[in-house]
Amino acid sequence: MPAFLDFNCCKTIDCKQGAVRAVRYNVDGTYCMSCGSDKKVKLWNPATGLLLKTYGGHADEVTDAVGSCDSSYIVSASLDKSIIYWDVSTGTPVRRLRSHAGGVRCVCFNEDSSIAISGGRDNAVMCWDIRTRRLEPVQVMKEAKDCITTVLTNEQKIYASSLDGCVRHYDIRMGEMCCDKIGQAITYLAQTRDEQCLVAGCQDSVVRLLDCESGGLLSEYKGHQADDYHIECGILASDAHIVAGSSAGDAVIWDLLEAKVLQRIRISDNGGVVHSLATHPKRQELLFARRRDMYVFSADLQIEEQQL
Amino acid sequence: MDEEEYLHRFGTPLEPLEKDEVPAKKPLMIEDQIVKDENGKRRFHGAFTGGFSAGFWNTVGSLEGWTPQNFKSSRGEKASKVQQRPEDFMDKEDLGEFGIAPQGIRTRDEFAKESEQEQRTGQRKRKLMQPEVTGPIPGVPVLEQLLRPVRDKVAVRILKSMGWKPGQGVGPRQTRKEKRLATTRNQREKYLLEHYGAEGLPNNDKSRNSECDDDENEENEEEDEEITFAPDDYEPAFYTPKDNRFGMSYSGLSRAPVLSKASDISGAPMQHINLFGQLEMAAKQKQLSIRGQAFGVGAFEEEDDDIYARDDMTRYDFSLADKQPKQKKTQHVQQRHVIDGFCEDKRNTTHTKPFAIDLPRDFQPRNWLLRRSRFTPLDAERARKLAATTEHKKAGLGRHDLNPEQRAQLLGESQAKKNPFKTGTSVSSQQERGKSLLELISSKSNNFTKGGLITTTGEEQPTTTPPPELSKELQQSNSVILEQATAKTKNLASSTPTTGFKPFLADEAKQLRYEKFLASNLQDDTEITAFLADLQPVTLSLWDREMEKKEFVQAAKIYRPLAGLMLDRFVSEVTVQAQKAQVSVQPAEQRKIAMERTKTMWKPSALLCKRYNIAEPFGGALPDAEKEPKAKSKMSIFDYLETSINTKENFQTPSIIPKHIEVSKQQKRLTPSLPPPPDKEEEQQQIKEQPGLSVEPKQAAAAVKPTFVPRTPLEHAVDAARNKPISEKVDLFKSIFDDDDEDQMDTAPAEEEQTADEKLAAMQAALGLPIAGTSAAAANVLRNTSPPRGIFAALFKPAEKQEDKPAETAPTKFAPIEGNKLKIAYKSREERLRNDKELAMAEVPAEQLYGPRLPISQPKQKTASCAEASIDAKLQQLWQQHAPSKRKTENWVERMMSSSDDSDEDSIDSSSSDGSNAKAKKSKAKRSHKKASSKKSKKSKQKSKKKSKKSDKHKKKKSKH
Repeated sequence: MPAFLDFNCCKTIDCKQGAVRAVRYNVDGTYCMSCGSDKKVKLWNPATGLLLKTYGGHADEVTDAVGSCDSSYIVSASLDKSIIYWDVSTGTPVRRLRSHAGGVRCVCFNEDSSIAISGGRDNAVMCWDIRTRRLEPVQVMKEAKDCITTVLTNEQKIYASSLDGCVRHYDIRMGEMCCDKIGQAITYLAQTRDEQCLVAGCQDSVVRLLDCESGGLLSEYKGHQADDYHIECGILASDAHIVAGSSAGDAVIWDLLEAKVLQRIRISDNGGVVHSLATHPKRQELLFARRRDMYVFSADLQIEEQQL
Repeated sequence: MDEEEYLHRFGTPLEPLEKDEVPAKKPLMIEDQIVKDENGKRRFHGAFTGGFSAGFWNTVGSLEGWTPQNFKSSRGEKASKVQQRPEDFMDKEDLGEFGIAPQGIRTRDEFAKESEQEQRTGQRKRKLMQPEVTGPIPGVPVLEQLLRPVRDKVAVRILKSMGWKPGQGVGPRQTRKEKRLATTRNQREKYLLEHYGAEGLPNNDKSRNSECDDDENEENEEEDEEITFAPDDYEPAFYTPKDNRFGMSYSGLSRAPVLSKASDISGAPMQHINLFGQLEMAAKQKQLSIRGQAFGVGAFEEEDDDIYARDDMTRYDFSLADKQPKQKKTQHVQQRHVIDGFCEDKRNTTHTKPFAIDLPRDFQPRNWLLRRSRFTPLDAERARKLAATTEHKKAGLGRHDLNPEQRAQLLGESQAKKNPFKTGTSVSSQQERGKSLLELISSKSNNFTKGGLITTTGEEQPTTTPPPELSKELQQSNSVILEQATAKTKNLASSTPTTGFKPFLADEAKQLRYEKFLASNLQDDTEITAFLADLQPVTLSLWDREMEKKEFVQAAKIYRPLAGLMLDRFVSEVTVQAQKAQVSVQPAEQRKIAMERTKTMWKPSALLCKRYNIAEPFGGALPDAEKEPKAKSKMSIFDYLETSINTKENFQTPSIIPKHIEVSKQQKRLTPSLPPPPDKEEEQQQIKEQPGLSVEPKQAAAAVKPTFVPRTPLEHAVDAARNKPISEKVDLFKSIFDDDDEDQMDTAPAEEEQTADEKLAAMQAALGLPIAGTSAAAANVLRNTSPPRGIFAALFKPAEKQEDKPAETAPTKFAPIEGNKLKIAYKSREERLRNDKELAMAEVPAEQLYGPRLPISQPKQKTASCAEASIDAKLQQLWQQHAPSKRKTENWVERMMSSSDDSDEDSIDSSSSDGSNAKAKKSKAKRSHKKASSKKSKKSKQKSKKKSKKSDKHKKKKSKH
């Protein structure tokens, strides 16, 4: 395991789109998206801070966005109860899908980006056959008792975390649904690269590592403040470190095994909740959203330098 | 001929047409009827030719042509001013009867009724034709037609109709002498009123006139007594009740200028000057009266001219707004009760009558307005009371001698919660502070205080007194203070912390128990019960014990000792903070996440599997948990409601369970040991429906069966036959529509029933159904099993009668079949009467039947029972014998309106001669009979007929008996 290198701030981007609700990398981490409270999604180059495109068409704040595997489409979720399928290059909405009865909180693509999965405040997870013109969801999962906060998927499973304190695994292959009850409202869910574990950020200021197979609790990571915010967490590309935002304006990086705080990234001295973050799919790089800004943090400066 | 006399004729009869006379001409058609004027010229013609003829051939000229008016004037005889009248410009026709200005003798408008006025000369029409020039809207204003000026008030009209003429007084006619006396009296009264009470006195001009008249008539005194006169038109003085405390006839100052006329007419301060009204001539004759003013003009002074009158701005309106709209409204409301033409008296004249009050014997009147000096001694009793109430205040409970710490100690605050800032208690901190002070300030100064001790030596002394000692002192002082306080507050029993409130003082033992309970300070419920069980006497019942426990707990909650109360109420901030910190620390420890994993079946949709490139689990054989997204194209917000029963799956067709599930005895006899047939099909269905449940089919059946059978065999048959061709369904239809009578007649030959059963069995066998124990019709629980009513009951009647005849022992047949109300057991009316009480619900008395009456097939049987029959029946018989036989064939049985009548009659019949009711009937019958015999009116006939019918029935019954 490589030694942990401290993250340093590479870039601060003022997104100029109101409060930034979420920041996300695209599939290979070369671009990133920021979802703003001004109902727009913006596509950036995180390395240079260049604004590439703005996608406007939502009727309410955008809560989440995800890029397709070929980076040609973006799906964004909004509180206007709809998700929009964007064409990246033209910046036009290809489809607008409305079926959620409440604001949509989260969205994700499956591996080949043929299915988009969204979860909303109506406690429903909906699977959309995004490539066809079908306007109804392929499947609706309404098992959750509270707002869906994150949906994830891999080759055979769909994970949905909810504020009712449960992570639900929809196993397509097995045809069964596993409900892992934590008991604390889960504000965010991330998946390790090896797809063995889930990282769940809970409302009680604890990040928990869950085992996918057994549903057991592997570890707990404390040290940040969640308060009443939807604090996101993530796992770094190396699968060795866990990161979570905090309401105190900083982010905390733990060692996955020892559950020890490795670094407290001081993002801002004057407060502001660091609620959204994104981990680079390959490199030791992080994206943070705080207030109206997006922060790019990186540990491997050398590589960048080399690249430059 | 007789009839001719009674005929009345109105109008004049037409001349009888004679047959030879043929109408000479055709009657003029309406369109041919033409209005012609005197000249025989057509009066009205088309608009293009002038509309209607007027003047001289529609000109202003005449036969002679047009001649101007001649004007002649000379020096001696000047031309008089010619007054032109409208008539001068009119044609002759206009002045005629139907012209614009008809001229003729008729009653003046004043005297004519309104309707007359309108009738006469069709004035209305004319009015309509007159062009209205003045208004902006053409035509006669509608209001003008609707509203007619009132000429007389209602009262005046009434008076007039009673013979009163204007100018006369009201009242009985008087002789001359009487009248004279009356006038003098009136004058005197008026004089008094003028001088001493002008309040509310209207102008008396008329009476003044009569005064003048009086003088003239004085001479003819000794005239005939028989000549009577109308009384004087005299307005009696109205004495307004006095409702203020002012002096006699005083009216307050009015804001109007003192000497102006306005002030005396009405008290309104801001009277608008009517600039356009008539000048008040009456102002000249001034009345000597005491007017609304306090000073200025003496009572006997003549008023000066209004020299100081100034135009007051208050008299002018500055806005167009109506100032008293609301008042007017209320007036309208009030006047609702008032007859038209009258108005309500606005002054509130009804006086509340003062009632005498029985005062208590020891009542001492006291003038509360009278101020008392502060220095007057209080009366003894009150002083005592006051002293008692304020005693503790005076004493102050020594509260003000204590410093905060001491008080805190008294309240037990410091014991309960340590104040971290004052941990060392005040003493030590004071010492420290003192120390530091001493260090800071030069020690040269001698007279510094520390700990309240003055150093007499002048040298710097280290604070030697150890804290425990001091605290001891303090404690001592505290205890002393406490003692004092308790001594002082001994009387205020309720609030002292030591004694506490005694809620159960009435029962001493209970109070004792309560105190012990308090002392024990138990919290747990079971502990309390155990504790109290020891204390409570054995005699106390369990319920009482429980109640007492509850009472104690409640009382302890409510009447907590003061210390506790105070502790509850006041919490120092430090403790609050400490608690907060504790809370924040605690949950981290407490939270222990227990992971729970639950697995359920979930069917991913086929498309989802396809997209994920995964084969469908179990080959897609998983049961579809939710069909909703497929079934419904549109999402609805209601889908997300948890307790939605609107979905198809949730909705269950309510199964109708027959009221009487108990199997009849007969059926039991027939199939004694046959359990309800197990339904394979049904079980299978259940299994299908609940595939996840691995319940044994038998168990499931057992669980379902005893409660109710959801499907009757017939329903199964229907289900099974659903897909069959119609030809094969015949049996089914039979089973459904087959006449139930077979079953109803229980006594019908058993063979028939058997055959029916066999048929059914065969049919069921053919359908692959288990053989049902009962016939399909019997099993058809949905059938209406209530006995036939109304017309249907009547339809069934003949069948019954036929059966009735042959066997006298029939009643046993028709005895109600116990428990089997499924089958319609038909009974004769008599039986029904007998079983009236049992089957009151299911029965319909014959009197309530209506419809065509059935022919009476039976001949009348005169048996011995006739003798028993009531007299009215006899009478009716008699009547029937003499009655014409025509209407026998079809009668209508009228439905009786009240069922009580029915029962009455029944009772009469059964007991042949009953109470008053029967008597009444008799008399009625008699009367009717008489009538029938004398007048033979139709009505009476019908009545009696009805009676006869009834009697007929009765007879039948009797015969049966």
